[in-house]
Amino acid sequence: MPESKTDSVRLTIDGIPVTVPKGTLVIEAARRVGVMIPHFCYHPKLKPDANCRMCLVEVEKMPKLQTSCSTVATEGMAVRTATTVVNDAHKSVLEFILANHPLDCPVCDQGGRCDLQDFSHQYTATASRFVETKRIFQKEYFSPLIETQMNRCVQCLRCVRYCDEVMDVKALAPAGRGTMTEIKTFGTHELDCEFCGGCVQICPVGAITSRLSMYEYRPWMLKRADTVCQFCGDGCQITVQTKDNELIEVNSEYGAGRNSGDLCARGFFGFRATGHPDRLTKPLIRRNGALVETTWEEALEYTAQQIARIKNAHGAQAFGGLISGRCTNEELYLFQKFMRLAIGTNNLDSSARYGHMNGVQAMRRVQGTHRWTLSFEEIVQADVLLLVGTNVTETNPITGLKVKEAVKKRQARLFTIESIRPAIGTISNITNLVDQHVCALPTQFGGAVLALLKAVVESRLVDQRLQHESPDYVGAVTQALERLSWPELEAATGAARDTFVQMATGLAQGRRVVVLAGQELLRSAGGYGSCLLLLDLLLLTGKLTEPGCGFAPLAEENNDQGAVESGAVAELLPGGLDLANPEARARIARAWKADLPLAAGATLVEMIDRARSGLVKGMLIVGENPVGSLPTVVGAKEALQRLEFLVCQELFLTETASLAHVVLPAASSLEKAGTFTNQEGHVQAVRPAVDPIGESRPDWEILSALSVLLGTPLEYGDAKELLKEIRGVIPGYGLLGPAPIPPKVDRAAVERYLAGDYRRALAARYTLAGPADAAGGTTHLGLFQSLFHSGKLSTRSKGLLQIEAQAALRINPADAARLALADGDRVRLSNRRGEVTTTVKVLERVPEGSAWFPDHFGQDTAKLFECAIDPDTNVPAFRTASVSIAKIS
Amino acid sequence: MSAIEHMPTYEPVLLKNMSQPGYTGSLPDYEKTGGYRALRNILGKVAPADVTQLVIKSGLRGRGGAGFPTGVKWGFLPKDYQGPRYLCCNADESEPGTFKDRQLIERDPHQILEGIVLACYAIGAESAYIYIRGEFVLGAKILEQAIGDARAAGYIGKNILGTGVHADVWVHRGAGAYICGEETALLESLEGKRGLPRVKPPFPATHGLYNKPTVVNNVETLANLPHIINRGPEWFAAIGSPPKSTGTRIFCVSGHVKRPGNYEVPMGITFRELIYEHAGGMRGDKAIKAFIPGGASAPFLTPDHLDVKMDFESVAAAGSMLGSGGVTVMEEGTSMVWAALRLMEFFYHESCGKCSPCREGSSWLVQTMRRIVAKRGRAQDLETLSDLCKNIAGRTVCAFGDAEVSPIMSTLKHWRHEYLALIHEAEAAHLLRPEPAAKRH
Repeated sequence: MPESKTDSVRLTIDGIPVTVPKGTLVIEAARRVGVMIPHFCYHPKLKPDANCRMCLVEVEKMPKLQTSCSTVATEGMAVRTATTVVNDAHKSVLEFILANHPLDCPVCDQGGRCDLQDFSHQYTATASRFVETKRIFQKEYFSPLIETQMNRCVQCLRCVRYCDEVMDVKALAPAGRGTMTEIKTFGTHELDCEFCGGCVQICPVGAITSRLSMYEYRPWMLKRADTVCQFCGDGCQITVQTKDNELIEVNSEYGAGRNSGDLCARGFFGFRATGHPDRLTKPLIRRNGALVETTWEEALEYTAQQIARIKNAHGAQAFGGLISGRCTNEELYLFQKFMRLAIGTNNLDSSARYGHMNGVQAMRRVQGTHRWTLSFEEIVQADVLLLVGTNVTETNPITGLKVKEAVKKRQARLFTIESIRPAIGTISNITNLVDQHVCALPTQFGGAVLALLKAVVESRLVDQRLQHESPDYVGAVTQALERLSWPELEAATGAARDTFVQMATGLAQGRRVVVLAGQELLRSAGGYGSCLLLLDLLLLTGKLTEPGCGFAPLAEENNDQGAVESGAVAELLPGGLDLANPEARARIARAWKADLPLAAGATLVEMIDRARSGLVKGMLIVGENPVGSLPTVVGAKEALQRLEFLVCQELFLTETASLAHVVLPAASSLEKAGTFTNQEGHVQAVRPAVDPIGESRPDWEILSALSVLLGTPLEYGDAKELLKEIRGVIPGYGLLGPAPIPPKVDRAAVERYLAGDYRRALAARYTLAGPADAAGGTTHLGLFQSLFHSGKLSTRSKGLLQIEAQAALRINPADAARLALADGDRVRLSNRRGEVTTTVKVLERVPEGSAWFPDHFGQDTAKLFECAIDPDTNVPAFRTASVSIAKIS
Repeated sequence: MSAIEHMPTYEPVLLKNMSQPGYTGSLPDYEKTGGYRALRNILGKVAPADVTQLVIKSGLRGRGGAGFPTGVKWGFLPKDYQGPRYLCCNADESEPGTFKDRQLIERDPHQILEGIVLACYAIGAESAYIYIRGEFVLGAKILEQAIGDARAAGYIGKNILGTGVHADVWVHRGAGAYICGEETALLESLEGKRGLPRVKPPFPATHGLYNKPTVVNNVETLANLPHIINRGPEWFAAIGSPPKSTGTRIFCVSGHVKRPGNYEVPMGITFRELIYEHAGGMRGDKAIKAFIPGGASAPFLTPDHLDVKMDFESVAAAGSMLGSGGVTVMEEGTSMVWAALRLMEFFYHESCGKCSPCREGSSWLVQTMRRIVAKRGRAQDLETLSDLCKNIAGRTVCAFGDAEVSPIMSTLKHWRHEYLALIHEAEAAHLLRPEPAAKRH
């Protein structure tokens, strides 16, 4: 922000002059000149509450001492923070706070990093004058993951305020009055919330602590490693604390990383997933039908031998590779280089194919980028936000916090098209904060966007310049929309025309308009078309090229974006270059000093199909689990069983790995160095916190070793050397700053789109999707991402399992009442494709007629789903099905 | 009030109607005495800004405790603000020794309602909330009834008396916390939150109820408005102790007097006159030992202060405050340490717990006081007490901190010897028996 004279004020802190932006609090102004005013209740993320009274200072011309956390700096102000009066005040407040404090520092997990300890030390506390009876709270069980010790509480309410202001969860409240004030949940139940760990992190003393490592350490024994979370595309910076190579805790400092210190349950409590006893510690090889332990030498040699054999006998096209978006950029990059050079095929794909590619390809086509043109800052600063199919709280919780900040702190208008009902619940619900909300089925998100586009056109909200410069485009879109009638749009989306008109008007009026598209849209049938529609919406309202505006598809896996940018998808080379483009191919060939395979590669499901038909005879699968992820109808298991050779690099013996001929134990991201690229396109360092478990090795090392054995050595000393090569090949990877530098919309691409490219399959995407899957039953079943899990990896996390241990079908209370179901009852889900049984959980935010099944536990439900392949992006869509539900008595 | 020969008689203003025989406080009764005349004469006829000017001119000051000039407070609302504004009538009368608002509510509710509508008109509020103390069940019922009647008669609601002015009034009952009488805690409670005082600034005038410009006025303050309108600000400004303490006040006399009760008198009479003439003097004609001049939050005064004039400035000069108008009188023989403990128990019970000095200090103070009264005090306790009091006063979020220390500070100042006597007794006893093991955790 520019600091012109009118925007800033000058003041002095203990005689030191300082200039700060208008509105800065005295406590922050003091921090700027290195004066730390003691405080408990103040936190930069929270509204000042001035309840601890610790930060009192003298301000010239003010008769009483002022709390520096709530006093705004004004021009000419003279603040004194260390006079006798102020010191006495600080001492006296400390004396009050210590009066009832138990002084159980030797057994307190906060001891050694406690604000109260530090200030007591600073103010040379001696014997207390307090000789009365100390207040005692009876110990109460709080929750499986979070422990409270209310006798230590200083009642600063940071936890309560964080839970409300930042998280919008409101799980905590002060109960009781005066000295008997204690932090509790509402009601008499144990804590049931988002388990973001925010209260643990923000507590200045040891009143709220994590139970995962309770009493196992003293803070000064911990060794820290700053790295990046392995769970979702938000790319949060985490600090992993270890003791003797054991994971003790994860936290994130205020202001650190893209998450600014905020975490979700997965980040805060999910860290022990990779330390699960089931981790593979030795290479496995199939002998007499069973996988048995072997040595690295034998496993690698056998693998290289088999690959060479298949290549020689059937050609390079008989081999395919899959890699997980949880791998580092270095590994993804080396994987595709390995596939393209060492094996010689473009038959390679990554988990970005499950949905992220829909967003990427839409961006490439309309705006000429394979990344967001925004960063989280633009989300926070947006004045209008449109969320489509994000379920953002559960899928990308930290992106959700940015949205909440924009709405709650900066009064942005929020529009949502989500398959969620606004309802108060144990976790936050983004649709509670909306201006306008359309509660549509995932199959009709596209329909809702069409209705929104129709409202834009009919309300004459189309950008004047666009109308003038691209009349053909506007005309074609208008014409396509005219074919849709309001009654059918209203019937499909369940929302009234007026809602769409309100949303359209808001979007057109917005100055900083940000559109977020989430998994439920990206992974649904027609996801690619819907992304194009959203980009059309930004184009038509004249927002696409405006600063602060843009389209942001959210990534589910932590490095889906990195997979795309590293070229770990069949159709793209590193840097998002088009494999089909001879110039691009030549560029990469020059960099690699080798020729690239020409034939277009098979993508995820194509490879499975080719394996079934015998065209693909060998596969290398790195951390990916198609058998566990794809619906039964795809037949991944049968197809992979037909392979002559399957090698997997894995952490655990997954459904896929258990079919392999060789399984190579891989190191997890907590055990290796590298980089992740988050969904913003921000490249961040991954650092090892513990040693690789057992004999496991980083995936890049395994690939490198195999390449040598195959006679195409791709050798690197360490991950950094790989990154160095990547920097030469992929522009933008040389800049590892604290914040991403998003690319600008490529105007040439936009012009190409407007000049005629938009016509490609226009009619198809401007058509309402037909009635959902007709496999039987009236309930709309959807696979959903739970806040407490990520893929299947998190189901190995003891912490997260304590919150959500098994799959439960979420249903609406009205449906539950109709079927006489209560929490924990067993039901049978059935359709033409099969039937499964599960238990139910009644949840108000599930729309009536819908049922959500978490996509993390086993694959029983996989048989109920159909799989539709997107003709443009080859993304398999299998997240929705129609079923009937019956109670099992 | 019954007429008593030797007593100076003043014309009551606020208590006048209800002292008429047969006056029930119903709408017809109120109308018969000229009720709602001010409303008819003002709404749509006098500009709202001029009503504020009129109130400024009358010199009316808040009757809740702080004594802030009412019209000036109204003037703090942002002039050009588009959007709702609110009026809150503070009827959370909970100050120990104060019981005037209750009588006004129960006996003459329409007088308050007329004042509320006039204030709404002046500040441009279309909604007013009466935040009434939870225990005032009868008062709340009476107000509800009166609001219903006034609404039916067109004095409250939409388009009042056809003037196009809207002002609706709702009653909200508190849930039993003294702190909700503090205006920002009142607003929090009204919003459905935990009743804790807010950090100021910003003040309610700009960021009040639901973050909108808001005025909070006491019941008695609002009840004065119809009279000021009807009889003119000059009339009001001439009563009492002009220029700074104008009008009458209802003083609530309690304690060791012959006739405890509410007395409406012009400001500026002496405590001696109030206690000895209106309240009939001391019970059993004993000597007076102490009195609290303005509710439990006001420091105790001594017989030396009997001739202090009962206006804002004079009481402040004597080292106390006129506060809520609750005058509690104590006779010779009262233990002042015990009296201070009794009030400290109240403040300990009512400390909301928001800020450290008050939350921790109140429990510390009350425990030390209990020990002293129980003859388990120690010589160093007095220094600790006065240190704690000093460390609480002026350092809390709201004025509660200043209030809770006033009984101890003032009794320590005037009756220190009583504390010392208890401590000496304790020390003497201590020589005879070992100190019981202190409960320490």
